[in-house]
Amino acid sequence: MARRRAGEEWTVSISSTTRVAPTRERDEHRATPRSNGVIRRGLRRWQEAGTFAVFVLPSLAVFTAIVFVPIVWTLAIGFTDERATRPETSFIGFDNFVFLLTNPSFLQALGNTLLITAIVVIFTNALGLAIALMLHKSGWLYNLLRSVFFTPVILSAVIVSVIWRSILVDDGLLNTTLRSIGVTDPPGWLSDPAIAIYSLSSIMVWQMLGFAVVVYLAGLAGIPTELEEAASIDGAGPLARFRAITWPLLAPSLTITTVMLMISSFKVYDQVAVLTNGGPGSGSTATIAFEVIQTAFVEQRTGMASAMAGIMLIIVAAANLIVLRVLQRREVTH
Amino acid sequence: MFKKTIAAVGAGVAAVALLAGCTAGAGSEGTDASGDVTLTFLTFETPNLDAAYWDETIERTNAIVPGVKIERLVAPNNDRDAYARQLDSTGELPDIMVAVNPTGLAEAGKLAEFSEDELENWIDPTSNSFDGTIYQLPTNTQTIPNMYYSKAAFEKAGVAEVPQTWDELLAASEKVKAAGITPIVVNGGGADTWANIYALDGLIGTEVYAKNPDFLAQLASGDTDFSDPDFVTAVTKFKELIDKGYVSPTTLSKTYAEGQEAFLAGDGAMYPMGSWFSVAPDEAAQEDLGVFAWPSDDGSLIMPTYTGGGLSVSSSAPDVDKAKEWALAWSQVQENNAGGVLNDGLFVALKDFTVPEGTTKLYDESLALYNDAVENGTVVTVFGNEGGIPSLPSGFNAEVNAAITDLVNGQTDVDGFIDQLNQKYTELTQ
Repeated sequence: MARRRAGEEWTVSISSTTRVAPTRERDEHRATPRSNGVIRRGLRRWQEAGTFAVFVLPSLAVFTAIVFVPIVWTLAIGFTDERATRPETSFIGFDNFVFLLTNPSFLQALGNTLLITAIVVIFTNALGLAIALMLHKSGWLYNLLRSVFFTPVILSAVIVSVIWRSILVDDGLLNTTLRSIGVTDPPGWLSDPAIAIYSLSSIMVWQMLGFAVVVYLAGLAGIPTELEEAASIDGAGPLARFRAITWPLLAPSLTITTVMLMISSFKVYDQVAVLTNGGPGSGSTATIAFEVIQTAFVEQRTGMASAMAGIMLIIVAAANLIVLRVLQRREVTH
Repeated sequence: MFKKTIAAVGAGVAAVALLAGCTAGAGSEGTDASGDVTLTFLTFETPNLDAAYWDETIERTNAIVPGVKIERLVAPNNDRDAYARQLDSTGELPDIMVAVNPTGLAEAGKLAEFSEDELENWIDPTSNSFDGTIYQLPTNTQTIPNMYYSKAAFEKAGVAEVPQTWDELLAASEKVKAAGITPIVVNGGGADTWANIYALDGLIGTEVYAKNPDFLAQLASGDTDFSDPDFVTAVTKFKELIDKGYVSPTTLSKTYAEGQEAFLAGDGAMYPMGSWFSVAPDEAAQEDLGVFAWPSDDGSLIMPTYTGGGLSVSSSAPDVDKAKEWALAWSQVQENNAGGVLNDGLFVALKDFTVPEGTTKLYDESLALYNDAVENGTVVTVFGNEGGIPSLPSGFNAEVNAAITDLVNGQTDVDGFIDQLNQKYTELTQ
């Protein structure tokens, strides 16, 4: 660092935070083009740092305060026996985690969550792609249909669940219709423990379908028509063109929909709360997110609920990491 | 790879944010520029107690307690106990709450105490108290359940007399079933799983609490568990109703409101429900309905009764004294309580209360049953509604509701039901 000596002046740059070398020293540096470049790079670094500070630090601070710190705090509580109704709290190590991983109710909720996720990811992707292929045409009808398919996405999950409940309840619209056409003993879509989870998953597929359609339509729009035309000229049929061109080039769309659907499915709570309240019976449709809320806010065992949330974090992160790794490997560019 | 890791962890963050990010925003704002204190008041709305009822009670109370502004909160469903605890978990316990079980909140010091001197107008000020310390105003008495029945259904089935004994209930149910009518309506679908307990409540009243009023105290002290022979008998009798087709899995899928509506529309012969149901039917329907107590083995009158359900005050309210003053005033306004009688079928437990004109026929009959039980000394505790010390731990009722549904749907048997309750009780009280 240059020191100011007697008779020398400090030169202040535009940036109040940047101190430039004294005049004589600066002149010496001016003597060589290389030293000029060093100064410019230094200045640029300082400016970049300033820009970073102005634009990123505030949001980073907010993120840290309202997301990161509560998450770390939640994870830490998972190692205690904290209860909202009990003043004293003790550190209990991994006891909560050991209990949960051997607790049938939690394992059932974990299994339900994985089943819902698998159904939603597979069926939403398959149906979304099929519908997108059908709607990948121009015309007012197709534009209208795109809007129709996307409408459920923008509806609240609670509203969707209330509507579907009125349809699927034992004496609801669906069973009334089935009875009117001669089905004497229609299924208990929400009251039969063996069926309810599939009803719930189907509603989620229905609601998220529009999202998958839109993503796949965007993906299809990005595929150059020349490739399809060239393949046609070479004699490739529709199926061959789909397998060789469309499907590989839709890989980024598949990655996006799969990851987003997985996240949505893993944290499903609203639909469960409204449609079945975790039932019918003991946890037949309870998910991890539902169990977290129940344990924290009904049973008031915040330590246990935090441990559940920690396990959920690990599972969701691991699952997404694996899926991203697998799906991104098959992504190609054109 | 780094980006993938970040993306994956970011997804996980969303999961943990479920718990970390939950806030309900129920906190009161304290004192405003005019010097008025703003207090939050947690209520719940049902077909009987609608928004207009609550708003009118607030208006009347504000007229006699100046300097208070009330911000009314509404529980998202009838399970206000769970909602109050959810708010509490986020540090937003309402300043005043109605009919929220104080268990857990009181022991944690989150509720303000009332003295017996403040409650000199109350008939039983220490009902549901915590060893004499009062955290909830025991203003209302409810009998849970009464057996409401359709006279038309009984007539169609050839049931001439209302059942007084267990055997008569079985015989009547058999006739009703043979007539193609659901004998006993039990609901609890959607988010209203809490509503499926009332038939079992009747049996626990006659089989457990009538024989052993200290059952819950013994349970809390570890001297007994749910394998208690009386409790097993109650569950076994409930299972008998299911096995014989008197309680139907079909009606179980209906929510509380849907179930009530269906029963009033003629779907079912008997409806075990709290005394609040007595004001739900309109005038025409009242004529077709009657009420009797849940039948005991020998026909003696046993009436499960809960006295409590009034207001409680948060110890962290911005002005606890003012909040208590408001709660005490709200509870003693004749019109407020008259509204509770006419809209929710409450039996008001205040010394100076006068039952208003215009009560329904079913209300009068339900009240008469309660008064008979009081006279006979056969009032017992309502399972799941026990307040104070001892009481069931927070969250236990949800397990009972789930186990009942399993029992009705054939997913478990009596032994499984008992084991499930024992395991959950141990888990929650450890």
